[in-house]
Amino acid sequence: MIVPLEHVLMLAIILFSLGLVCTLVWRSNVIMLLIGIEIMLNAAMLVFVGSSCHWGKADGQVFALMIMAMTSAEVSLALALVVYLHRRRNTVDVDEFRELRD
Amino acid sequence: MLMNSGSCGTKMKICLELIILLPLLGGIANALLGGRLLSRRGSEVMACAAIWGSFAATLAVAAVYSSPVTLEIASWLAAFDFNAAFSLYLDPLSLLLCLMITFVCGLIHIYAVGYMRDDPSFVRFFALLNLFVAAMLTLVLAGNLPLLYLGWEGVGFCSYALIGFWYKDPKNATAGRKAFIVTRIGDIGLGIAIVWLFQLFGTLSITEINKMGFLMPMGVITALGLLMLLAAMGKSAQVPLMVWLPDAMAGPTPVSAQIHAATMVTAGVYLLMRMFPLIGVSATVTAAIAVTGALTAFYGATCALAQRDLKRILAFSTISQIGYMMLGVGAGAISAATFHLLVHAFFKALLFLGAGCVITALHHEQDIFRMGGLRRTLPGTYWPFLAGALCLAGVPLTGGFFSKDGILGAVWLKGGILYGGLYIVGLITAFITAVYTMRMLLIVFGGEIPLNPPLSKGEVKPLPRIMEWPLIPLALLGLCGGIINLPDYLGRGLLNSFLAQPGSQEQILSHSTELLLQGVAVVVALVGMSTAWLRFGGLRRQLRMAEAQQQARGLNAFLLNGWRVDALYGLLFIRPYVWLSSLLWQRIDEGCIDDSLDSMASLLGRCGQWLGSWGQGRVSLSLISMAAGAALMIVWLAWMVL
Repeated sequence: MIVPLEHVLMLAIILFSLGLVCTLVWRSNVIMLLIGIEIMLNAAMLVFVGSSCHWGKADGQVFALMIMAMTSAEVSLALALVVYLHRRRNTVDVDEFRELRD
Repeated sequence: MLMNSGSCGTKMKICLELIILLPLLGGIANALLGGRLLSRRGSEVMACAAIWGSFAATLAVAAVYSSPVTLEIASWLAAFDFNAAFSLYLDPLSLLLCLMITFVCGLIHIYAVGYMRDDPSFVRFFALLNLFVAAMLTLVLAGNLPLLYLGWEGVGFCSYALIGFWYKDPKNATAGRKAFIVTRIGDIGLGIAIVWLFQLFGTLSITEINKMGFLMPMGVITALGLLMLLAAMGKSAQVPLMVWLPDAMAGPTPVSAQIHAATMVTAGVYLLMRMFPLIGVSATVTAAIAVTGALTAFYGATCALAQRDLKRILAFSTISQIGYMMLGVGAGAISAATFHLLVHAFFKALLFLGAGCVITALHHEQDIFRMGGLRRTLPGTYWPFLAGALCLAGVPLTGGFFSKDGILGAVWLKGGILYGGLYIVGLITAFITAVYTMRMLLIVFGGEIPLNPPLSKGEVKPLPRIMEWPLIPLALLGLCGGIINLPDYLGRGLLNSFLAQPGSQEQILSHSTELLLQGVAVVVALVGMSTAWLRFGGLRRQLRMAEAQQQARGLNAFLLNGWRVDALYGLLFIRPYVWLSSLLWQRIDEGCIDDSLDSMASLLGRCGQWLGSWGQGRVSLSLISMAAGAALMIVWLAWMVL
C-alpha cells in the first residue's frame, strides 16, 4: 500500500471536521447542513476503506458500499423534505422549524 | 349396507346426488349469473326447474327403491378416528319427506314467480329459496350427524335471510335476527349432543348410533334425548322457544309457506323421529316430548283464537299442529306423526299460499277485520282455501282428520294418567282448532266487502293465474291425503306398512276403539265449527266486526299477544341482559379500562411536556450540543486509554 494508514486517517479527520463545521456554522440553510452531513459520511467511509485495505479484509469495503446506498436514499428523502418545507414556509432556515418542541 | 350391484345402483346414486345438487346448483347459478347474464324470466325458470328436477330425481329414486341404503358420495371431514363423509341415508322416512319437500317447494316456487313479480331483488330471493330447499334436503338425507347439522344450520341461515328479506324496514330485520337467535339456543343442544355422541360411541353415523343405544346407561340416553328435544324446540318452535315463529311472518308469503310447510319447522320433529330408536327407550324423554307437544298444541291454538293478522293466525296454527306431531312422536307413533307431517305440509302450504293471494288481492291488507265477501270476488282462492281450512279443522274424511286422529289414537293407546291427560288436552286443542279455523274462514270470506276507505284500501285486485294454479294440487292432496294411511278398519294403511321397522311390532288399536275415538273427534270438530258459526256466522259477523274496532282487552289481549310470552322474556332475559351490557360498557369498559388508559397517556404526555420545556427546539443548538457531547466523550476515552 502506497498511502500509509495514518495519512488516510488524517485526511478523514480533516474532512470530518470540515463537515462538522459546515453543519454547525451554516445554520441558515438546510441544504448546506445536508452537504455537511454528506461530507462527514464520506470521511467515515474513507476510514472504512482505508482500514479494510490496511488489514486486508473486505468488510470495510462492503460497509462503504452499504453507506453509499443508504446515503443516496437518505439524500433523496431529505431533499424532498426540503422542497416541501420550502413550499410551506418559504424559508430554508433550520431554526424556523421548531414545532416539535411544543 | 351393500348396494345391489349393477346399473340400478349407479342410477340410484346419481339420482340421489341430484336431489340435493340440483337445488344447490340452481341457487348458486342464480346468485352468480342472475341479473347480469340471466333475465328475470331466466332466473325464475331456473329456480323452478331446479326444484322440479329434484322432484323428478326423487321420483326416480322412489321407483327403484327396495330397502334402506347408505351411499357415500365423497369424504368430507376426516381426522384421526373422527370420520364424517358426505354420506346419504335413504329409508322410507327420508324418501317420503324428500318427495313431500320437493313437490311442495316446487309449487311454492311457481307461486313465488307470481308473488314476487314486482320485486326488484328477485335474484337474491330465488337463490336463497333454492338454497333453503337444498339445505333441508341435506338435513333429511344426511347419513351422519355432522352432515345433518350442516343442513340444520343451512336451514337456519336461509330462514334468517329470507325472514328479513325486506331488510330495509328495521322491523323485518329484527324478526330475522330473532328467528336466528332463538333457534340458536336450541342448536346449542344439538351441538352438545353430537359431540357427546361421538365421545360415547366413536362414530357419528345415524344408523350405527341408533343400533348401539342399549350399550349406554339410561341416564345418559335421557340426557341425550333432552338435548335433542331442546334442539327440536328451537327449530320446530315448541314451548318455550316458540316466540320466533309468529314474527317470522315478516318475510314474503312464499317464504312463510316454505318455512311452515316443508322446510325448517318440521326439521325438529324429523330429528326426533330419526333418533327415536336411540332416545325413545327412555320413558322420561318420550314423556317430555309428549308434554312439550301437547302444551305447544294448546298454546298455539289458544293464541290463534284471538289474532287479527291473517298470517299470524296461520303461524300460531302451525305451532299448534307441530305440537301435535311432537305429541305423536312422544307417544311413539312415528308413522302417525309422519302422516300428520305430510298432510300438514300440504294443507298448511295451501293455506299460506291462499293467504298470500288474499293479501295481494287486497293491496297488502293483513287485518282480517278489514276483509270480507271474498268468496264471491276471489272464487279461485276461496275453494282451495276452504279445502285447506276443512283439513285444519279436522272435518271427517279429509286428510287432516285421519292424521290428527292417528296421533290422538296413539296417545290414547299409551294409556295411563299422563297420556290420558294429554289425550284430553289434544281433544280440547282440536276443538279450539275447529273454532279458530271457522272464525278465520267466516270473517275473511263471509259477509260483504267493506267499501268505506278506512276499512278497505281499494278494489279487489285480480290475481295472476300462476298464483292460483298451485293451490289446486295442494287442495286435492290435502283433501285426499287420508288415502295414504287409512285406518285399519278400512284396510291396512299404506304409510304404516311402508314405515314399519322390520322386527318391531307396533301395538294396534282394536277397530271398535278406533271407531269410537274417531266418533269423538268428529263430534269435537263439528261442535267447534258450530260454536264458531254461532259466534261469527251470518248477521252476527257484523257485530264482531264492530267489536273488533275497539282496543282488545282482558283475555282477548292476553291471547292476542301470545300469552304475553314476549313481554315475559323481555323482562326475564332481555332487560337483565341490556342492563348487564350497559354496565359492562359504561362502567367497566369506558369507566375502568378506557379511563385508566387515558390517565396513563395523559401522565406520559405531561412528563414529555416537562422534559420538553428544557429544550429550545432549535436544530442548530441541538447539533452543537451533540458535537460538544461527542467531543467530551472522545476526550474522556482518550484520557482513559492514554
